[in-house]
Amino acid sequence: MEKTVGKPIKRTEDPRLIQGLAHYVDDIRLPDTLHAAFLRSIYAHARIKSIDTTAAEKLPGVVAVYTGKDTAKIGPVPCAAALPDLKVPDHRPLAGNKVYFVGHPVAVVVAETKSAARDAVDLIEVDYEELPVALDEEKAADAKSPVIHEQFGTNVAYKLTAGEGDIEAALKSADKVIKQRILHKRLAPIAMEPRGVLARYYPGEQELTLWTSTQIPHLCRTQVAIMIGMPENKLRLITPEVGGGFGSKLNVYAEEALMGWISMQLNRPVKWIEGRRENMQATIHGRGQTGYIEIGFKKDGTLTGLRYNVFADMGSYFQLLTPAIPTLTGLMLSGCYKIPAIQINVTGVFTNKMSTDAYRGAGRPEATYVVERALDLVAAELGKDPVEVRRKNFPQPDEFPFKTATGLFYDSGNYQGALDKAMKMADYTRLRDEQKTARKEGRLMGIGVSTYVEICALGPSSAMPAGGWESATVRVEPTGKVTVLTGASPHGQGEETSFAQIAADELGVGVNDVTVIHGDTAIVQYGIGTFGSRGLAVGGVAVYMAIQKLKDKAAKIAAHVLQCEKASFVDGKFCADGKGGGKAPEPVVPVGQAPAGALPEPHTGGKTLTMQDIALEAHVAKNLPADMEPGLSATAFYEPKNFTFPFGTHIAVVDIDPDTGEIQFQRYVAVDDCGKQINPMLVEGQVHGGIVQSMGQALYEEVVYDETGQLVTGTLIDYALPKAVMIPHLELGSTETPSPVNPLGAKGVGEAGTIGSTPAIVAAVVDALAPYGIRHLDMPIKPEVVWQIIKNGPKKNSAGAA
Amino acid sequence: MKIEGTHKIAAPRERIFTALTDPAVLQRCIPGCEQMEKTGENKYSAKLTAGVGPVKGVFTATVSLQDIVAPEHYKLVVEGKGQPGFVKGFGDLNLKDADGATEIQYTGEVNVGGLIASVGQRMIQSAANLLASRFFKSLEAETASGSPISSTGT
Repeated sequence: MEKTVGKPIKRTEDPRLIQGLAHYVDDIRLPDTLHAAFLRSIYAHARIKSIDTTAAEKLPGVVAVYTGKDTAKIGPVPCAAALPDLKVPDHRPLAGNKVYFVGHPVAVVVAETKSAARDAVDLIEVDYEELPVALDEEKAADAKSPVIHEQFGTNVAYKLTAGEGDIEAALKSADKVIKQRILHKRLAPIAMEPRGVLARYYPGEQELTLWTSTQIPHLCRTQVAIMIGMPENKLRLITPEVGGGFGSKLNVYAEEALMGWISMQLNRPVKWIEGRRENMQATIHGRGQTGYIEIGFKKDGTLTGLRYNVFADMGSYFQLLTPAIPTLTGLMLSGCYKIPAIQINVTGVFTNKMSTDAYRGAGRPEATYVVERALDLVAAELGKDPVEVRRKNFPQPDEFPFKTATGLFYDSGNYQGALDKAMKMADYTRLRDEQKTARKEGRLMGIGVSTYVEICALGPSSAMPAGGWESATVRVEPTGKVTVLTGASPHGQGEETSFAQIAADELGVGVNDVTVIHGDTAIVQYGIGTFGSRGLAVGGVAVYMAIQKLKDKAAKIAAHVLQCEKASFVDGKFCADGKGGGKAPEPVVPVGQAPAGALPEPHTGGKTLTMQDIALEAHVAKNLPADMEPGLSATAFYEPKNFTFPFGTHIAVVDIDPDTGEIQFQRYVAVDDCGKQINPMLVEGQVHGGIVQSMGQALYEEVVYDETGQLVTGTLIDYALPKAVMIPHLELGSTETPSPVNPLGAKGVGEAGTIGSTPAIVAAVVDALAPYGIRHLDMPIKPEVVWQIIKNGPKKNSAGAA
Repeated sequence: MKIEGTHKIAAPRERIFTALTDPAVLQRCIPGCEQMEKTGENKYSAKLTAGVGPVKGVFTATVSLQDIVAPEHYKLVVEGKGQPGFVKGFGDLNLKDADGATEIQYTGEVNVGGLIASVGQRMIQSAANLLASRFFKSLEAETASGSPISSTGT
C-alpha cells in the first residue's frame, strides 16, 4: 500500500460539503420542534425596572416566555480560567436586574414557528433605566469611570505581571528605549455558520440530547450538565457539521444551557439558530487590547529588554477563557528573538460590551504584532534593514530547546532557514532596489517582513484550564475497515482526511478504508476539542498512539497464527520474524465447517498476514493466544510534554495610490514551518485562510461601538470582512523542522496565518509611507488614514511621529 | 451623533417662535407625528412613525420644551422608544432677525439604540438631515400662510 502521509490528498469531507449534503444543526429536523427567539438588550448598561411579557404570551403560537427570574436556577455560564484574585461576575443565562451590553439576552420566547417567536419578542415590554457606560478598556480602568459590576467597586477584573529578567536594569542598559502605544481592535470571528442549538428531552429515559455547533463537545457537555443540574452521562451532546469556529465556538454559551433546560420544561424539541445580527452582538469577539511597548536596544541592534503594559478589554462578562487570553500574549512576547528581560503587565478590564475570548490566534497575534512592530521601530531608529535587526537577535538552530524570558522552552527551530527561503522567493534584494526606483519616481511602494514563532499543540495539561491531552480510539472492524474515534472535534480542519492518512499508513490500509468519527459524546470517548492548533499535533498523535497499542496486540496475534516468536509489520503486512517464522499455520475454521452467515474465513494460509486477516482472527476469536482478549481496538489518551513552536517568515509588498490612499498588494510571500506535514494541501488551506483573516484585521475589520455602547458594526454591511477581490495571489512555501515533542514531528498550523501575517502587512504600509515620516500606524489601516498622511505631506507627519 | 444647521423663513421672529412652541403646529410639522398631547407644563407625549431605510416603526415619545426665552431660544428634548429601538435627542434652537426674515439656527445631538443602531446607523445622519429639512419646510408653510396660528390645531 502506497504511503499517504506527506501527500496532498484531497479532503474526503469536501464532496458532501460542496454538494450541500452535509448536516449542520439547522439541517436536523425533528417532528414537533419548537423555535426559540431572544429579546436582547438595546442598551449597553441599564437597570431593568420591569418586564411585561403578557402580550407576547398571548400571541397565537407562543408556548412559553422565560425571563431571568424564571431561569435563575440555571447555573452560571462558566469561566475556566483561573488567575490569582480574579473577579468573576455571576453570569446567568438571562439578565437579572441589569443589562451590561447591547445584545445581552433578557428574555426568550418559545413558539410553534420561528416567525411567531420573533413577533412575540417585539411584544415584550421592558422598562429600562439607563446607566452610564464604561467602554474604553483604558478609561474604564480609571477610578473615575462608571462601574459595571457594583459588587467589585472597580472595572479592573485582575492585574497580572509576568516575565523573567530584571526589566528595569535591562532597559537602563540599553543605548536607547523606544516607546509606542499600540492598538489591537476588537474583531468579530464571523464563522460562516452562526451558532445553533437543538435540544430534545426524552422524559422516559430522562435523557437530553443537545445538538450544538461547538468546537468542544465533551467540555460543553460537562459544563451544560452542571449548569442545568443533570447527570453528565444523561446528556448526549452531538456536534454535527460545524461551519467554522475560529475560536468563537471554543466556548459554552447561555443559549446552549437554555435550550436544554427549555426542552426539559416543555418535553418537546426546541431549536434556536443564531441570526447574523445576534452573532455580531452576542458571540464572543476577539482581540481588544490597548498596549504600551517599551523596547530597549544597543546601537548594533541587540535587544536588551521588552516591557508591555496592556489594558485588555474583557467585555462585561467572562466567557470560557476570556481573562486567560492576554496571558498567552505574555507567554509569546519573546517572539523568535533572544530578549534577556521581558515583562508584561496586564490589566483586565470590564467594559459594557460583549465578552472577548479566543479568536484565531487567541492572544498570540497580539504578542507577535507587539514584538514585530517593536523590531521595526528599532530598525527604523537605527536606519537598518528590518531583516538585519531580526537576524541579529535570532537564536541559532543549535540553541534549541531555546529558553525564553517568558518561561517557555521552544522545541525546535530554524528561523534563519525560513527567512532565507522567503527572501529568496520574494527576491528581497531586487524588491528593495525596485522600491528605491519607485521612490525616485514618486511612487509609494512598501515592503514588510515578519518573522514569527507561535505556541501550538495546546498543550500540556499543567498549562491548560481543562486538560491539554487528547484521546483516540482506533478499531479494526471484522471486515478490516478501520474506525477512528477522535476526541478532537474538527470543524473545517480536514482531520477526517489527515487522521485517515495517519491510520492508513500505520495499518496498511487505504485512506478510504478509514472512517473518522467525532463530535458525539455517546459514541466517542471523552476528548478536549479542536482549537489552539492542536487537532493534528495532539489529536493526531493520540490516533498514532492508539494505533501503536493496537499494533502490539495485532503483532501478538500474527505471531500466534504464523507460529513464530515474533511477527513484524513490514510494508503493511505482518510477517514472521526470526527463527520461528515461515511455517504455514492450520486454518482457524476448517473449510466448510463455518456456520451459515458467519464471517468469512480468515486467510491464514500464507506466510504474511494483513491487518484485515488479523482483525478477522481477533473477532472470530477461535485461534488467539491464551489469555488474550478478543477484538482489535485500542484507546490512547495522549498528554504532550511540551507545547510546539511553529514559525516562519511572511513578506508583504504593497503599492499605495497617492490620490486615494488605497492599498494594493503587489506580492505576498509566506514561508511557514509547522514541523512535519501530514497533508501539504491542508497546510496550505490553513495558511490561506489565516492570511486572509489577517489581511482583514490589518486593513479592514474592526468591531465598533459608539460612545453610548451601541454596536455600530451590527451587520456584514458595516463590518468589513475581506472579499476575494481584496486578496492577492499568495505565494506559499515551507520548511520542515520536525518537533521533538511528539512522534509525528508535527507542530500545528491552524493559526499561523493570523499570527505571522498582520505585522508584515502593517510593516509594508508603514514602509511605503516612511518618506512621510511614518513609523507606526494602528490597524485597520484605512485608505482615509493613508490619504490624510499623504495630504499632510512629509513634514507635518514627522513632527507628530512616534 | 451631532446635528446642526440653519434655516431661513420669511416671517417675523415672534410668529415663528409661537409656532415652534405650539404643540398643534409641531404635530403637523414633525414628519410622521400622528399625535401630540399635553401632559404638563411644556411637556407632551407624542406618537411618531419613523424609520431609517428598511427599519421602520412606531415610537412613543415624550417631548419637552426647556430653557424658553421668547422669542429667541428654547431647547427641545425628545425621548422615544418603540419596536425598532429607541431615539433620544435634544436640540437648541436659536432665532435671529435677518433682514425681515428669521434665521433659525439649531444644534443638537441624537442617540439611537436597538435595531436602528445596528442596521441603520450609517444612514441616520442623512435621515436626520432630511427630517430636519422637511420639518422646516412645513414650518415655513405654516407661518407664511398669513393665517393666524392656532393653538388648538385642526
